[in-house]
Amino acid sequence: MKYTAALMRAPLSRRATLKGMTAMAGTAAAASTLGFVGAARGDEPIKVGMISPLTGAWTVYGAAHSAGFELAVDEINEAGGILGRQVEIVVGDSRTEPRVVVEQANRLIRQERVDFLAGTFSSAERNAAGPVVEASGKVLLYPTFYEGQLQEYFPGVCNPNIYMFGPEPTQQVWPHMEYILENFGKKFFMIGSDYAWPQVTNLFTRQKLEELGGEVVGEVYIPFNTPQYESVLRDIRESGADVIFHTLTGSDTVNFRQQYAAAGMKNDFTLWTVDDEEVVTTGLGPDVSANDYVSFDYFMSIEHPNNAAFLERLRAKFGDDVLMNTVGVAMYNAAHMAALALNQAGEVSTEALRGYLGDLEFNDAPQGPVWMRALDNQLVLPSYLMKVREGWTGVSDMFEEIQNFQGVEPQNAQCDSLPLGQ
Amino acid sequence: MYALGVAIDATLITLVLALAAFGLAIIFGLIGVINMGHGAMLTAGAYITWVCQTNGVPFLLAVLVAAVAVAVIGLVLEHVLIRHFYDRPFETLLLTWAFFLITTEVIKIIFGPEFRSVTNPLPDAITIGGIHVPAYRAAVALFALALIVTSAVVLYRTSLGIKIRGLIQNRQMAALLGLNIGLTYKLVFMAGCFMAGLAGGLITPMLSIDPYIGNVYLVRSFFVVAVGGVGQLLGGTMIGSFLIGGSETIFAVVSEQAVAQTIVFALAILVLRLRPRGVLTPR
Repeated sequence: MKYTAALMRAPLSRRATLKGMTAMAGTAAAASTLGFVGAARGDEPIKVGMISPLTGAWTVYGAAHSAGFELAVDEINEAGGILGRQVEIVVGDSRTEPRVVVEQANRLIRQERVDFLAGTFSSAERNAAGPVVEASGKVLLYPTFYEGQLQEYFPGVCNPNIYMFGPEPTQQVWPHMEYILENFGKKFFMIGSDYAWPQVTNLFTRQKLEELGGEVVGEVYIPFNTPQYESVLRDIRESGADVIFHTLTGSDTVNFRQQYAAAGMKNDFTLWTVDDEEVVTTGLGPDVSANDYVSFDYFMSIEHPNNAAFLERLRAKFGDDVLMNTVGVAMYNAAHMAALALNQAGEVSTEALRGYLGDLEFNDAPQGPVWMRALDNQLVLPSYLMKVREGWTGVSDMFEEIQNFQGVEPQNAQCDSLPLGQ
Repeated sequence: MYALGVAIDATLITLVLALAAFGLAIIFGLIGVINMGHGAMLTAGAYITWVCQTNGVPFLLAVLVAAVAVAVIGLVLEHVLIRHFYDRPFETLLLTWAFFLITTEVIKIIFGPEFRSVTNPLPDAITIGGIHVPAYRAAVALFALALIVTSAVVLYRTSLGIKIRGLIQNRQMAALLGLNIGLTYKLVFMAGCFMAGLAGGLITPMLSIDPYIGNVYLVRSFFVVAVGGVGQLLGGTMIGSFLIGGSETIFAVVSEQAVAQTIVFALAILVLRLRPRGVLTPR
């Protein structure tokens, strides 16, 4: 079986399938009896650096971001740790500033001597961490839905040491284009925040849209912290659009959508957002968000046995009011997959992590099975399209599932050499 | 019809920004305190409104509670710290900046970083000459206009106004003529805080309530006061708000939103170069 192949460490078939937590614990036990790699340091914890936006503009996302990782590390430690060693999280606060990410990544690697890093939130933060992990030879596990990999943004992407656990546009947007076009019309108005992720996402969206016979009738980018949207709302009205394709971020999302609703436009357009998960939708409230569409790899409301079990453990640890989202779940998956990879490798090193993370499957992922592509360090994951329920009261009844696709492959990364690092 | 739409939008933006900047115009404009805490006062007003409304208090009463509460916070701040530094503007800048940082963190500790929202009391749009206008925004704009005009009347047509203006023109002389300087400063500072709290409460149905809600307006407010002219409470605030806010929607007709915003701030810098003390202040 694939499982044996993994233990034999055949260089070309490292594909490793593990079923569940028990199997993981079993591997840990097996590895420690067989190998005793680093047995002298058996009691010393494995240190992992977690860089989260705990203060600053994106603090609102920091709670789910760190909660997902902390829950996973608890589970790993309860199941026996990695190779018999406990895992210890060393926290670095990014303060939502790329400059601080560089400081924190350096501190975690050089002073705290962590074995690998997980986190950063925005693409700008990840790009700031890129050169640091490049120079130090450490791995970064990156959780956020993002714009995909283009060589020009190396070393923030196309970097053999950075692994992506969130969806890119061809996974998050493309699978649902046909449904939206068939049901709501072919004219899109694109509104996004003025930085890389919305612009590249719109580029991919436009490509697929035009392939399917649709057209973009307007495209605007809004500077951060814009309080007024009158002129944009007027442009949208005049454009004759059917669908508003929405990639605004943070508080601008809330500002725009409140004013969009107050302008009485909700009945005239279909709004499809690829940025507003549980945290933002909670902030919008039921009146403003009702009947809008959202697509992501994960929602708290998806009906999957993995998710039910995950939410039970999450609420046991953080209380009933905890908010989870795609990014927090990606952090959760990242921790578990790193533990699986190191347990299989039998040692803790960058080479071990990279060697066994590629092609690794994780069947317990809350959104449904996911696996890592060795080709471009990109996760294959499900994609869900949800509609916001009218009069929702909380995260459990916030979204109604419209459709889902399992095992959605991303487009190949546009890097100079694939597979990455070879 | 398109032009009418742009004109209405520009008016709404100008008046809402004037409302947000008004508290700063009073404190910075009349008593010269560079109040970096203005953003935090807006934020505090927003959160107090949200807390009240969540606990069943009607919206308008909630806004009033917020304004009074922020005025009380301002009174304490003034009495404990600010009044000792009226002749040292740089120190007040640092003090009010510290107030901003502390308030923001306290809000995060008490309420968490999540986005909050209040129910919009006037959720529908009204139609004026075929143009859809959000009812709540229009109401706030009218209220802002009334508020600023009333304040100007107080300043230019009442004895309290004469005292305040005398104070601005020559502090020592005003003191020699028997004006209670300390009390007048205190009243003006409180009035500015009241306006900030009021504005913070009134913007909640339009914006996301988060610990940084006031920041959106902090820099814009300073530009409004500087461009309009320090101490020019009525005309200055209106012209400044138009140049910083309302004109943006006009530029956005011919350029992208991001470019329009850049043009506006470039224009503001140009105005300050040509008229360093504001549009309405003689050189």
